Amino acid sequence: MSAPAEAPVLAVHDVRKTFGETTALDGLSFEVRRHEVVGLIGENGAGKSTLLKMLIGLEQPDSGSIALRGEQIKMRGIAQAGAAGIGMVFQEQSLIPNLTVAENILFGAEGDAIVGGMYRWKTLRQRAQAQLDKIGSTIDVDAMAEDLTFAERQLVEIAKVLATEERTNAEPVVLLDEPTSVLDRDEAEVLFAQIERLRTRASVVFVSHRLDEVLQVSDRVYVLRNGSSVAECVPGEVDEAELRRLMIGRDLEGSHYSEERQLPVQDEVRLRVRDLSVKGVCESVDFDLHVGEILGIAGVQGSGREELCRGIFGASATRGSLEMDGRPIRTSSPRSAISSDIGFVPAERRREGMVGTMSVAENITLPHIADVCAGPVLQRSKERRLADDWIERLRIRTASAAAPLASLSGGNQQKAVLARWMVSDSLKLLILDHPTRGLDVGAKSEVYRLIRELTASGVSVLLMADSLEELIAMSHRVLVMKDGRVTDVVDAPVGAKPTPVTVLERMI
Amino acid sequence: MSVVDKVETTTEQREKLRMPRMSRRQLLLTIMPVAVLVCLVGAISIANPNFLRPASIWTVLDSSVPLLILALGAMLVILCGGIDLSVAALASMASVLVALWVPALEGWAVVLVVLVCALAGLIQGVVHVVAQIPSFLVTLGGLAVWSGIALVVSGAATIGVSGDTLAWTFTRLTGWNIPSAVLIGAAVVAVLGLVMLLTPVRRWLIAIGSNEPAALLAGVPVARTKIGAFIVSGACAGFAGVMLVGRTYSGAPTLADSLLLPVVAAIVVGGTAITGGFGGVGRTVIGVLIITVLRVGLSVAGVDPSYVQIFYGALVIAAVALTIDRSKLLFVK
Repeated sequence: MSAPAEAPVLAVHDVRKTFGETTALDGLSFEVRRHEVVGLIGENGAGKSTLLKMLIGLEQPDSGSIALRGEQIKMRGIAQAGAAGIGMVFQEQSLIPNLTVAENILFGAEGDAIVGGMYRWKTLRQRAQAQLDKIGSTIDVDAMAEDLTFAERQLVEIAKVLATEERTNAEPVVLLDEPTSVLDRDEAEVLFAQIERLRTRASVVFVSHRLDEVLQVSDRVYVLRNGSSVAECVPGEVDEAELRRLMIGRDLEGSHYSEERQLPVQDEVRLRVRDLSVKGVCESVDFDLHVGEILGIAGVQGSGREELCRGIFGASATRGSLEMDGRPIRTSSPRSAISSDIGFVPAERRREGMVGTMSVAENITLPHIADVCAGPVLQRSKERRLADDWIERLRIRTASAAAPLASLSGGNQQKAVLARWMVSDSLKLLILDHPTRGLDVGAKSEVYRLIRELTASGVSVLLMADSLEELIAMSHRVLVMKDGRVTDVVDAPVGAKPTPVTVLERMI
Repeated sequence: MSVVDKVETTTEQREKLRMPRMSRRQLLLTIMPVAVLVCLVGAISIANPNFLRPASIWTVLDSSVPLLILALGAMLVILCGGIDLSVAALASMASVLVALWVPALEGWAVVLVVLVCALAGLIQGVVHVVAQIPSFLVTLGGLAVWSGIALVVSGAATIGVSGDTLAWTFTRLTGWNIPSAVLIGAAVVAVLGLVMLLTPVRRWLIAIGSNEPAALLAGVPVARTKIGAFIVSGACAGFAGVMLVGRTYSGAPTLADSLLLPVVAAIVVGGTAITGGFGGVGRTVIGVLIITVLRVGLSVAGVDPSYVQIFYGALVIAAVALTIDRSKLLFVK
C-alpha cells in the first residue's frame, strides 16, 4: 500500500457508538501517523475502552469511519483486525497459559506452520523466533506461557502483534491498553525502551492512567472526555496538572487525596479488636480504631490483611473478640456485620461488589432493604427517591436509577457501591478493600473526597489501598502487617506523613 | 450524613438519556414467549375452530394445572441459580402418600403430604447450602431417593383412592362450569406472584442467581433464601401430586415422573434464564401454557403421543439456545 508518508496510518473520523441508553463515543476523531506513539487518556467512561474495542473489531461504530493506510475498513472481530495489521496488547493479557510462546505468537495465524492439521514445529519456532528477534527478546520460544513473568508475557503479546506483518506486508498498529498497570518501575522502563524500539517499525497507541508515563512515551496525546476528543497535546507543552484538568473538565477541588480535610482523630474508640485470628492466615491481631479515623493496613500479599478485614465483616470465620462502641459484637456472617453497622467494599467490584444485572437503585438499597420496606412490603417510590437522591449527591453518571449497574463506567459503579453503605445513617465502620482499584484519576479523587466526608461525619474506616502513597496520604495511622501479625503502627498525621519507604521497610 | 453539594449536570443528562426498564434482550425474552403462545393458539384454532370454544379452553387450562404448580416451585430454585430435578419424583411420592393416608386422615392427608414434601425440599436445600454440593447433584440424588421411597411404601403398585376427599381438586363449579383446578392454580399464581411483587424476596433470588458472592457481601440472606426456594419447590411438588391423585383417583410411584422434562421446558420456554438471575411467575405461566397448548396441538395434528417427549427435549435445548445470555458465561460446560 502506498499512501504518502505524511498521511495517517490510522484515521478515525467522527465515530459514534451508543450502548442502549449510554453514549460511549460521541463523534470521536483521531489519527495515528507513521512511526508515532500516540497517548490516549481519559477518565473511566470517557470512551477509551470502546475506542480500542472498535479498533480491533470487537465493536462496530454506529456511524463514522475508520481508515487504515488510507482505506476505509470495517472489521468484525479480532481476526480481521489482525489480518489488517492492528493488534492489541491486552491489559489482562490474552496468552493461553498452557501453550508455548511460539504457539501463542502465531496463534490463529499459523499458516504454513500447520500442514494437514499437524504442527510443523520447526517452521513454527523459526517464524515465532523472527518475531521475538524484532523486539530483541531472548524469551525461549518453547517456554510455556504460564512460566513467564507478567512483563515477559507482555513482550510475547507485542511479538504476536508484530507477527501480523507477515500477512499484511505493512507496518502494524500496536494498541497498548494500560500496559504498565501491573509492572514495577524497572519493568516499566524496559517496556518504554521497547516502545522506542517498536516505533521504528510500527505505530503505537498507548493508553494509560499514569499521566507521567503518557507524557514520557508519547509524541502526541489525545484527551478523551464524554466520548469525544477534547484536546490534542504535545508533551513538553503541557504538564500533568493540565492534562488532569482537561480530562476532568474542571479543576480538582483541593488536593488529590483531600489531605486538608483529614480531621484530628477523636479519643473514643469505635472498634476494639482483640486477639483476632483467621485460621491459617492471621494470628492474634489487636488494634483500636477511633471514631472518624482512617486506619490504613499495609502489607504484602500473604500478610493476611484482606482475610483480617473479611473476618471482621463476617465473610470468613474468626476467633477473638470485637467491640463496637464499647459493646461486644459477633460478626458470624456479612448479614450480622451489617446489622452491627459495618459496611464492606470488596476489591473485585464486578465479582463481589455489585450485581451488574440489577439496577442502580436496587444495588444501592440491597444491604439495607428494610429501610425501604413497610413491614414485608417493598416501597418502590421511596426506594426510587432514595436512589435518585444519592445518584445526585455522589454525581453518579447514569441514564436513570433503573439502568442496570453494569451499564455504568467503573468509577460510577464504585460510587454506587459506596452509596449502598452511605445510605445508612447509622453506619459506624466502613471497610474499604482497594476502593480505587481500576479507577481513573478523577474518579479516584472523588472517592477520596467521599471517604473524607464519611469520616467527618464520624464513620471510621479500615482501608487497604492500591499504592502505599495512597494509603499513607489517606490514613491517620498505618497498621503494618506481616505474615498474619501486626508488626507495627505508624502515625500519619497531616503535615508529617511518613514516606512510603518507611512503611515498606516494616512490611518486608 | 452531610455529603456533597448537588450538581446540575446529572439531572439534565438523565433527562436526555431516557432509558427503557428492560434491555433489548430482556424485552425479546418477554415478547417471544407471548408471541409463540399466540401463534400456537392461532395455528391450532385454524386446524380446529372448536379449540377456541370456552369448553375446550377450560379443559386445556384444567389439564395444565399440575404442571403449572410444579413449574412455579421449580422456577424459584432456577431463579436463584440452582435447579431442582426432584420435583416430578417428589410429586409421585406425594401421590402415593396421599393415597395411603386419605382413608385414615381424610383432608388432613393433603396438609400432611404438602408438609412432608416441604420437608423433603428443606433437606435438599440444607444439603445443598450447608454441604456446598451442587443443587443439580443433590436433587438428582433426591430424585432417586423419593422415587425409591414411593416404590417401597406403595409396594410398587398403584393405590386406589375411594370416596371424594380429593374431589375438590378436580370438579366443575356450577354456573360457569369452571374447573376447580384452574381456580386453585390461579390462587397459587396469585400468592407466589404477590410475594414476588411486593416483598424483597424476588430481588434476593435474582441477586443470588446473578452474582452470589456479591449478594452475600451485600447482606442478602443467601442461605435462607435458597433453602426457602427449595422448601417452596418441595411443597409445590407435593401439592401437584395431590392434584394428580384427584384426577386419577389413584396414587402411583411413577405417576408424575414424566413431568420433569415438561417442567424444565415450561420454565425456559417462558423466558426464565436457566443460569439464574432472570425470570418470574408470569413468564412461567406463559411457558406452562405454551407446553400445554403444544401437547394439545400435537394431538390435534394427529401426532402420536409417543413423539411428544422428543418435541419437549428438542424444545428445551432450542429455548435455552435462543435465550441464554452468553455474555454472562465465561465458559459453557
